[in-house]
Amino acid sequence: MDYTKYTKQEMQAYAIAKNIKENQIVIVGTGLPLIGASLAKRAVCPSCHPIVESGLMDCDPVEVPRSVGDLRFMAHCAIQWPNVRFVGFEANEWLHDEERLIAFIGGAQIDPYGNVNSTSIGDYHNPVTRFTGSGGANGIATYCNTIIMMQHQKRRFMDKIDYITSCGWMDGPGGRERAGLPGNRGPQMVVTDLGIMKFDEDTKRMYLAYYYPFSSPEMVLENTGFEVDVSRAELMEGPSPEIIRLIREEIDPGQAFIKVPKQ
Amino acid sequence: MSKVMNLHDAVAKYVKSGDTICFGGFTTNRKPYAVVGEILRQGQTDFTVWAGPAGGDWDMMIGEGRVKAYINCYTANSGYTNVSRRFRAAIEAGKLVYEDYSQDVLMLQLHAASLGLPFLPVRLMAGSGLVDFWGISKEQRKALDTVDNDKLVIMENPFEPGQKVVAVPVPKLDCAVIHVQKASPDGTCVIEGDEFHDVDVAVAAKRVIVTCEELVSNEWIRRNPENNKVFGECVSAVVHAPFGAWPSQCYNYYDCDGAALKEYDKASKYQDAEDAKKQIEKEAAKAAKKGLPYTAPVNPETFKDYLDKWVYSVKDNDDLLNKIGGARLAALRVVPGLGYSVSK
Repeated sequence: MDYTKYTKQEMQAYAIAKNIKENQIVIVGTGLPLIGASLAKRAVCPSCHPIVESGLMDCDPVEVPRSVGDLRFMAHCAIQWPNVRFVGFEANEWLHDEERLIAFIGGAQIDPYGNVNSTSIGDYHNPVTRFTGSGGANGIATYCNTIIMMQHQKRRFMDKIDYITSCGWMDGPGGRERAGLPGNRGPQMVVTDLGIMKFDEDTKRMYLAYYYPFSSPEMVLENTGFEVDVSRAELMEGPSPEIIRLIREEIDPGQAFIKVPKQ
Repeated sequence: MSKVMNLHDAVAKYVKSGDTICFGGFTTNRKPYAVVGEILRQGQTDFTVWAGPAGGDWDMMIGEGRVKAYINCYTANSGYTNVSRRFRAAIEAGKLVYEDYSQDVLMLQLHAASLGLPFLPVRLMAGSGLVDFWGISKEQRKALDTVDNDKLVIMENPFEPGQKVVAVPVPKLDCAVIHVQKASPDGTCVIEGDEFHDVDVAVAAKRVIVTCEELVSNEWIRRNPENNKVFGECVSAVVHAPFGAWPSQCYNYYDCDGAALKEYDKASKYQDAEDAKKQIEKEAAKAAKKGLPYTAPVNPETFKDYLDKWVYSVKDNDDLLNKIGGARLAALRVVPGLGYSVSK
């Protein structure tokens, strides 16, 4: 197996893992964030504390869980809280040190201020495509700093999204406070398959902070449906072969979330 | 007094058409599928549903047209189906009356019901579409006697002038169904692993059906009361239903039946043979238009076929277990130490 080549999704998972800090509590959902957090726990940042919205705290799964309520989380965690305890823990988060916790959420559409739609495409009452509904995402985005996972496509990065499931910076500076949300929490970055976007401190608008070895600022411009500043973008180095080996052989050997290309 | 009943009699007595109802469990974990199957067989319908983190349990009921109003926060067999397919199809076809709350809020609402609170103020959902859009309009709500007149009310925090809060109603549950690891004839329950919202709904509902992996004696369950999660007096009926959460998982007992969840994922794409024909024709036309090759599935299993196979053609839980087969069930047993099954 050649571990020197990697896929976009593997790069994304690595980018997630790299953005988890020492001793940080990490709220993870299913899909790529799970791989990223598992990678962090195993190799990149073992001191982190993954928690999930079903109430399982400080998880240390052996095999990759398929959902946030999976036995693979439940069997290897510090405490099995009912959901409402998790909700309370999360709702008190904004009272603590800003670096204490980071949360991952995903979505189908995102606007320049990091407001995210994961409910439905088109008219809410008569949707073209309907998704699961909020799940834990709205609560997480209300009270916690978030990293948002997205596929980088023009139809997903749009000026106005169809439905706000999870609030970002709303309409810019002061937007969260006006909406009745804690202003000292909000989206920190958007990790996509083309790069990492951050939010400008003054305008709260998204800008390109990093692109990957296989992408470029031009590709990001082409695939973003709104105006985006790429002038500050830097190259982020790709993962080492050992990281790719870990993902494929140990973390997601069943390819539940990351498909390995046939060689 | 013994509350032990068989599956048929418990469902016949305690689940009524028109009920406001909640099932325990979490997407693919400890979902009370034995009762779901029995309700489908008996025909109760017109449910107002506080779904919680739902999966195939409510997807089946929606697909069979048993739901009058669906109060949703998340519906998917995560890891197997991204969005439950009959739920999604019903909404996209305009055939389901539904409301959305965030999962946090819905869980807090069920908890508030267990605390007997009159309503619940939260800051969650503020600023989002969950406040702006009402799945069930004010007019529809007036016509539905089991749904509150308002989805929510924005009000001022009486203790923090100027602070807006979102007040939401508290569910009034007629019926709750939970599946637990151990229960005794008097109704006392042991829940191993995460309890989810199961204890909340068991306290809040007027009628509660408990299905259990193991029926243990009243004397045995009192040896370690620190493990007990539900007071027996909350419970209407105790049903011994081993593997009663199949094909979902049950902590310390068994893992998901991945084959069954994958089968449901594929089958539930099509409501029935007619729907399959229509969708396949559409897919073929789409491929042809783009000049792409397309291999049409031949007589694919449908949602209806799945239910005929795993629900309607069996008469009770024992019959279901025989149909699944001993070896297949044994392979689902969790490995002590790992906490999940390693057989694929």
